[in-house]
Amino acid sequence: MATAVPGRERILIADGDPLARRFVGALLANNGYEVHLAEDGDSVLRSAVSLKPRLLVIDLVLPGKDGFEVLHALKGEPATARLPVLILSVKDREEDVVKALSLGAEDYVSRPFSTRELLARIRKILERTG
Amino acid sequence: MRLLMVRVVEGVGGFLLLLTVAIVINKALREMGERLDRRRRALLEPLVFEYLGAATSRPLRDVLPEPPSRRDRRLLERILLESARLVKGSTQERITAAFEGQGAVREAIRALESARWWKRADAAEKLGLMRSKAAVEPLVQRMNDPEPEVRIRAARALGLIRGRTSIRPLVGALADPSRWSAIRVAEILISVGSEAVDELLAAFDTLPQNGRVSALDVLGRIRGLRALGLMKSCLLDPHPDIRARAAHGLGLIGDPGTTPDLVAALQDQEWPVRAMAAKSLGRLGDPSAILPLREAMKDRRWWVRYNSGEALRHMGNAGLEALTDMLSSDDPYARHMAVAQLEEGRVIDQFVAELTSSDSPTRAAAIRFIDKVTAAARIDERTRQAATTAQEGVRQALSHILRAPAPPGGGGVR
Repeated sequence: MATAVPGRERILIADGDPLARRFVGALLANNGYEVHLAEDGDSVLRSAVSLKPRLLVIDLVLPGKDGFEVLHALKGEPATARLPVLILSVKDREEDVVKALSLGAEDYVSRPFSTRELLARIRKILERTG
Repeated sequence: MRLLMVRVVEGVGGFLLLLTVAIVINKALREMGERLDRRRRALLEPLVFEYLGAATSRPLRDVLPEPPSRRDRRLLERILLESARLVKGSTQERITAAFEGQGAVREAIRALESARWWKRADAAEKLGLMRSKAAVEPLVQRMNDPEPEVRIRAARALGLIRGRTSIRPLVGALADPSRWSAIRVAEILISVGSEAVDELLAAFDTLPQNGRVSALDVLGRIRGLRALGLMKSCLLDPHPDIRARAAHGLGLIGDPGTTPDLVAALQDQEWPVRAMAAKSLGRLGDPSAILPLREAMKDRRWWVRYNSGEALRHMGNAGLEALTDMLSSDDPYARHMAVAQLEEGRVIDQFVAELTSSDSPTRAAAIRFIDKVTAAARIDERTRQAATTAQEGVRQALSHILRAPAPPGGGGVR
């Protein structure tokens, strides 16, 4: 979706829902981020290594490897272990949130979401992990 | 005759040919339309997303390069409806503003009057996603639609729009189970959440008995703390269904301050109220309820005994100790229930495993415990364990205990 832009934070977005993926992508691109999209678990793992994004925004429901498996794989791999991950998911059960955070996610936002809140959380994570 | 046959074959052939041509043309037109839709959507979607993500109050039409055609308006509506399920808060308000600005709300309200029920149902559903307050009154009217599907979609739409004027008719619908499935309306009110509490409280006294039962259920499931006073007073209602539902609701809300009220309800003359009170006391987990729950395990009704035993099992070590004490109760039914609950809580298995412990006090305590279980005349499961358990030591110890005659006092389950 994007080419590298110097000075802009690079964010990888992975969502199994095409509309949600495009919507979040457009939202972040319009707010000055360099956005890359992934549609399944395997492509997230590949892009996380090749693109070296500053942040991964990922849904738990993905074709192939689901969000938990991706998170587990990323945290177990030295090259991606420090990549901050924000979960943006329709799943909002307490056990999903706890599981994602205990697997190493930085933050959890459930859908439907407030765009302003999502942007604020992303800014905060980037500041914290910068 | 032959000529006639030829004419018929020619006629049928011609008809089939025409039909084929019509199908092909129709398919080609449809595919062309879909291609055009995809192209237009690819142009419109980023503009809509830009509008939704903008921090300004610029209307959607200012983001569009030209006034939208009919096709574009339809596509804009589709993009906005799909986006409506992704977002909330100020972005949701921008979606509503866009629908209102594009005239889509007006159009959907008009469609609520369609002669075809599926068009009315579709319009009601769209209006829910559009969340325009302008749709509240027409949707309230649709709750009297002769078609049940239209009524339920109108109710769901009102639940999505929220606000007092939307919620009030939903509360009213709880009272009319002949026309409404109370469960579906209750689910809608539960999804509305705490906003529905005040309306439910305000309307409660005006509802008939079945409506009040549903309202108490909704209040409990919303866990509306503001409903505590009402629930407590309903424990004294003349109708047992109301009392039972109030007892259940207090457990769902989970305020330990209501323990004395529920303990009092354990003495209710109707067993469903006593059973619900026992269940709720288990949810609250207040230790002051242990003694009354022990007494309730002697109740003449199985459900009250079961819920009391289960409540004790959920109350941690103190509850399990109480169940263990109940193994020596003078009431055989309470003893049986205690065994059943200790079995369910895997406590008995734990003691059975300790029968072969190398630590003598632990082993002696396990033998005493199994003795008590045996005396409670629930030996069938232990007999099975004595025959099948993998550890030979456990098999021998259990067989030895079971050979000892059980003390008198056992009996059948009431």
